Amino acid sequence: MKMSYWQKEETASLDEKKAIQSERLIKTVNRVYDHVPFYHKKMKELGLEPGDIKGIDDLKSLPFTTKQDLRDHYPYGLFAAPMEDVVRIHASSGTTGQPTVVGYTKNDIHMWSDMIARCFTAYGITKHDIIQNAYGYGLFTGGLGVHHGAEHLGAAVVPISGGNTKKQIQLLQEFGSTVITCTPSYALYIGESMKNMGIDPRSTKLRVGVFGAEPWTEEMREQIESLFGIDAMDIYGLSEVLGPGVAFDCHKRTGLHINDDHFVPEIINADTLEPLANGQLGELVFTMITKEALPLLRYRTRDITKLHTGKCECGRTLVRMDKVTGRSDDMLIIRGVNVFPSQIESIILKVAETAPHYVLIVDRINNLDTLEVWVEAKEGLFSDAIKSLEKVEKHITHELFSLLGLHVKVKLVEPRTIERSEGKAKRTIDRRNK
Amino acid sequence: MIWQQEECLTRDEMQALQSKRLINTVSRVYHNVPFYKNKMDDMGLEIGDIKSIEDITKLPFTTKQDLRDNYPYKLFAVPMKEVARVHASSGTTGKPTVVGYTKNDLDMWADCIARFYAAMGATNEDVVQNALGYGFFTGGLGFHYGAEKFGATIVPISTGNTKKQIQVMQEFGTTILVCTPSYAIYLGESMKALGIDPRSIGIKAAPLGGEPWTYEMRGQIEDLWGMRAHDSYGLSEIIGPGVAFECQAQNHLHINEDHFVPEIIGRDTLKSLPYGSEGELVFTCITKEAMPLLRYRTRDISSLVDAPCSCGRTTIRMTKCAGRTDDMLIIRGVNVFPSQIESVLLNLGETAPHYVLIVDRVNNLDTLEVWVEGKEDITFVDGMRYMKEIEKKITDEIRSVLGIQVKVKLVENKTIERSEGKAKRVIDRRNK
Repeated sequence: MKMSYWQKEETASLDEKKAIQSERLIKTVNRVYDHVPFYHKKMKELGLEPGDIKGIDDLKSLPFTTKQDLRDHYPYGLFAAPMEDVVRIHASSGTTGQPTVVGYTKNDIHMWSDMIARCFTAYGITKHDIIQNAYGYGLFTGGLGVHHGAEHLGAAVVPISGGNTKKQIQLLQEFGSTVITCTPSYALYIGESMKNMGIDPRSTKLRVGVFGAEPWTEEMREQIESLFGIDAMDIYGLSEVLGPGVAFDCHKRTGLHINDDHFVPEIINADTLEPLANGQLGELVFTMITKEALPLLRYRTRDITKLHTGKCECGRTLVRMDKVTGRSDDMLIIRGVNVFPSQIESIILKVAETAPHYVLIVDRINNLDTLEVWVEAKEGLFSDAIKSLEKVEKHITHELFSLLGLHVKVKLVEPRTIERSEGKAKRTIDRRNK
Repeated sequence: MIWQQEECLTRDEMQALQSKRLINTVSRVYHNVPFYKNKMDDMGLEIGDIKSIEDITKLPFTTKQDLRDNYPYKLFAVPMKEVARVHASSGTTGKPTVVGYTKNDLDMWADCIARFYAAMGATNEDVVQNALGYGFFTGGLGFHYGAEKFGATIVPISTGNTKKQIQVMQEFGTTILVCTPSYAIYLGESMKALGIDPRSIGIKAAPLGGEPWTYEMRGQIEDLWGMRAHDSYGLSEIIGPGVAFECQAQNHLHINEDHFVPEIIGRDTLKSLPYGSEGELVFTCITKEAMPLLRYRTRDISSLVDAPCSCGRTTIRMTKCAGRTDDMLIIRGVNVFPSQIESVLLNLGETAPHYVLIVDRVNNLDTLEVWVEGKEDITFVDGMRYMKEIEKKITDEIRSVLGIQVKVKLVENKTIERSEGKAKRVIDRRNK
């Protein structure tokens, strides 16, 4: 296969890369010091002046940023650009009902499109392809991120958004889609649905799938590839850093190439916060050195992985990361939606009829993630009619849907039936990939 | 603020521009779209016969049926590698009506919407909450790209989740709201029910469209929100939203006629009518690359106004659409043909082929109820459970095919009125 890249930075030498990163980091540190009171204060506290940052090697002296910091500065407190320059807002649902808000300038959107175009080029997608984009469009970054990037590449985008499996299948058959973008579990679900309808998933013109927004295994990759007869490619990202397009794999499958001329990765020990050497397992941290609206310093992703340097056989010199193997917090990813148990707790605590004892049961049924919430009813509720139990369940389901945009099954159980813990409560039972 | 100088040309300048573009387009579709070549050949029309915009009336019409017959891409005038976007709306037989855009088309579309933002007095400091559906429908992405081109901040919240819409509106500093007129009312009423005054948000303008609405409804919306509600007109076959819009004078809709040339024709004669006459609105796309349709019959009833507007724009205006010439229903912005519902019912085969659609507006949201007769051999003795199953099956299938939630009610055999002639399939209780 002919090797091709979208941008020359993907194959820069180590020295060139360091020079680019250093120049961009220095500029970014100056900008956030001047325009974001949060960073100004943090740096002052550390006794750090912008002039102390002379190159990329000084990255480790900069302060960390956490999801909590984003929440504390809701909605626009960490923006480094004035609203007149901000052209886009995205948001994900948050713990206390407050979404995590991210912003983009015109240049940020353009850079984002380039990142997606890099990914697609590495997957072998060109302007001749027809891309069926089944990521959700809206406040989440998945749909619109892929959309703008695919358009930038020059491919034809079919913006079908998530859901409506029947229509997805109709379009796969009739629109000549050659690429599908969605979560890996949804791809399996579509494939199985086709089989149930008597349609061979290998009979369409589909040739590449771009899958992300949830962790998936090599086994799942093989399953999808043989089901559809396609190349299943991995895409990584998170809205705080950019959205999809932070990292991508190529056909050599040596790990995910990180666009490190924009997002400088580090691996740290999640307890000591000390940087770890390449090849060691730890928490992934990113510093955004080109973003204008929301450039975060050393953002802690909570994703656990390893980094690898060295040129890939594909020719790219971008630092690579392994597939994410876990989290350093308790976040769950359900059908591509990030869910914290504390979000569910915040709803349960507001409901007068329930006790603060609950357990979350996560499973994968027919290739779709399911989340069940078992929560104890208060004394006396079970002696009431079934109808009032159902009413409470329905109310909680509705509240959770409103907060998370996710359909959750709620089950009220009798008082004192959920196991109590002496120490840290075991709130989640995850039965997927076991 | 006026976004582009083409909005303020003299009539002579506009006609010269239109003529140049029309000649170009006719030549392109003749060479690249077999459908138009055949039509023109059949009429004995040559490219050279089109010498100026005056000759537009010689050209063949295009109908929605022509789009269906050429499903999905056969009316495209460019190869797929130049197509950057495909949109679609649901169609009669389950086949969507497909439209395509090149990069230049998308850029032109964004400019048409940017013109609208400028015309409602927006600036790059405005925060636009876009509550139209994102995805296949043209509404969401149309206003999205336009806002980005204009330079305002877009919050791409998409439809639904009223609670979140309200939260975002209060906390993100929304100043412009994009949605359907009925949702603007629903949203405002929901806020009031929560003890929040919609006027306290500080929304200054809202482009509203996607369904027919009246001036009475506008008054109600403006009063509820303390904002200016601007009528928005468009259809995906032409481009999506952005075909025509109201400026701050709110006196008919300015047509972006340097891209979409309007005509009014007699519904029966199909003859072009002069300014001021009421008839069917027809558009010719003279700049689109991917899918330039000639004399597309919109089925919308309107009239054209050539008098100058106080805003300074010289573009021809259209009056608010008085209705649709055929039986298409618009339910919460989604096009629904009674025949689509019929085909779902008949395909499932669980019911008798007698049905009636009851359209209403409850709490300012369009509702559609499908009353359908059970089969003769099914009696109500079969129990509620069985009937509920069938109702659910039909509801699910309609949602899957049409993307809308309807209420299905199974009624006893021979209780729906029969007709000697054309069956009365639709009872529309809205705007009565």
